[in-house]
Amino acid sequence: MSEHNSDRAEPNLTPLLDLVFQLITFFMLVINFKGASLDLSLKLPVLGSARPLDQRQSKLEPLLLNIDSEGGVHVYGRKVEFEQHISNEARILKDQLRLNQTPIENGELPVPVIVRADRGAPFHLVNHVLKVCQENGYRQFSLNAMSREEKR
Amino acid sequence: MLHSQRRRKRKRDQGSVEMNLAAMLDMAFQLLSFFILTFRPTPIEGQLALNLPPPVPLTQVEPNQKSGDGIGDVLALETLHLHVTANDQGDVRELKVEANSIIQGGFDEGNVQRLDKKLQSLFAIQQIPYDRIQIAVDGRLRYGELMKIIDVCHRQRLPDGSNMQKISFTEVDSGTSAK
Repeated sequence: MSEHNSDRAEPNLTPLLDLVFQLITFFMLVINFKGASLDLSLKLPVLGSARPLDQRQSKLEPLLLNIDSEGGVHVYGRKVEFEQHISNEARILKDQLRLNQTPIENGELPVPVIVRADRGAPFHLVNHVLKVCQENGYRQFSLNAMSREEKR
Repeated sequence: MLHSQRRRKRKRDQGSVEMNLAAMLDMAFQLLSFFILTFRPTPIEGQLALNLPPPVPLTQVEPNQKSGDGIGDVLALETLHLHVTANDQGDVRELKVEANSIIQGGFDEGNVQRLDKKLQSLFAIQQIPYDRIQIAVDGRLRYGELMKIIDVCHRQRLPDGSNMQKISFTEVDSGTSAK
């Protein structure tokens, strides 16, 4: 009788564990580590005709540049000397292509540059960054924009 | 009845192995906390793909070459030129389509529609098959304003029903464009 009284009520944790594992699975599926490369403080221009492009065909990583309203270039949250950064990235890419024995036709790098520029940046600053990319062999550009005004 | 009681008793005697789930639950909660804290939904962004080779002269004019002989003239015929000047705040001050001034003042919704109508009327003319647009942009113009103009250009329909894809822009010196 006394043994029966000392029995503790143990909750069945299995359904709780199931639920937690389902939540973990959800977050693992939707997590996007590439999001860290995006500067979410930038106010991108709104472009009704902008559509997401599929860039999964290429195995090579595109060059992503966040340009703030003062023309500063940010990469992974860090402000960088963009001329040096772009030239370094181009050099690394050329070495990589050489190792893969991929020919570089007319000095054109087969990798797009994703430009995320603040809508308030003067055009000459953005254009300067584009020119530096062109000088280093980049020809394909992808100008990012929101398809509609976002609420913050 | 007796049979079922006996079976139940045997089952209890065997004793089932019960795992201590608390430790696993702790770990699962830690993982869940990590994912919740690092979760940042990225906004869905649209992209405008452009192929921008470095600027080169279209033709090298020979000393004896007459006007209209070169390929550059054909390209020029198919290219619609837009000229945008800006004020010191970076807003559109004037927008010209070829030599005609279409917009004066800010690039608000009304002016967007005015430019759209003007371009639609130009693209409807079958005798002049424009297939590309070149925008000469004042360096002071804000990037967001330029993208609005590019958006209007991109909406234009070509005779084959496709959207205008060949859009290029060149920077014009602020001092030159202010004149």
